[in-house]
Amino acid sequence: MNENEEKTGLGALGEIDRLVHEPARTAVMALLYVVESADFIFLMNQTGLTWGNLSAHISKLEAAGYLSVEKSFKGKRPNTTLRLTVQGRQAFRRYALQMKQAFRDFEA
Amino acid sequence: MNTQLDLKELERKAFRATYQDGLWDLYFGLIVVCMSIFIYRPASGYSPLNIVLALCAFGVAYGLFWAGKKFITLPRMGQVQFGAKREMRKRTLIIVLSVVVAIQVVLVALQLVAWANPEVGARFSSLIRDRNVMDLVVASVGALIVGPSMILVAFFRDFPRGYFIAVMIALAVFLMIYLNRPVYPIIIGALIALPGLVLFVRFLRNYPLQREEAFHERE
Repeated sequence: MNENEEKTGLGALGEIDRLVHEPARTAVMALLYVVESADFIFLMNQTGLTWGNLSAHISKLEAAGYLSVEKSFKGKRPNTTLRLTVQGRQAFRRYALQMKQAFRDFEA
Repeated sequence: MNTQLDLKELERKAFRATYQDGLWDLYFGLIVVCMSIFIYRPASGYSPLNIVLALCAFGVAYGLFWAGKKFITLPRMGQVQFGAKREMRKRTLIIVLSVVVAIQVVLVALQLVAWANPEVGARFSSLIRDRNVMDLVVASVGALIVGPSMILVAFFRDFPRGYFIAVMIALAVFLMIYLNRPVYPIIIGALIALPGLVLFVRFLRNYPLQREEAFHERE
């Protein structure tokens, strides 16, 4: 952090988790934060993301260790269950607090 | 902006999305129609066949509801598991409804005792001599058991349309017992099912069948 950033306090924005700070991924994480688990189709319907888009975002979150992906079969149908890991829950909570803090005085 | 409130709203919306298929409305509508057809008092009096047919009809209604959820809703909408709070509410509802069912069992048992022992029955009926007043009391008790039970279901299951269904079911039970004509409760059952049918058609349009094989097979 350079001297100017310290003076303005904008340095805090640099600490924001960029992986979460993307609207589609924020939506996915927020939804998984409030439920226990959801499957791929439910997430797709609720977030309004396309199949390819959601798939790409899930891969990134999974690679970061924020999501756990469980693949199984329900009868003959494949089913992909997703849930936030402890790390993912912490990351989302931290992100929400950082964003709240960053714009604390916005309405003043 | 309050983060906590927004997340609560998000959870609520996700939960209520599971009612978008209208299957609950169709199920309760069907239950009221079955009840109207099989449980009203025939002129010949109750027969075991009435009870057997009613139970079969309820079973068929539940079977249709279950099949609809499993084969139509879930492949289109996807599956979700909600948190501990929702599970707790579900368990509380089961306990509360168990108490209501226990009260109903006691009332039915009293009725059976009255039928089996004419002396006891006469003692009961001597309290209210007028047949119309007796019907009114029985109809009111029936409606007061069924209506609030459904209100509890609507409250604990966070199902806003359930309040409308509660009022309609209570009215159906009241009319079924008091007027003893199945036509009115059948109309009420249809009124309960109608919004469900509209929602169901809309659901089929808005939620086409999804495939997730490609994501599933990806390494």
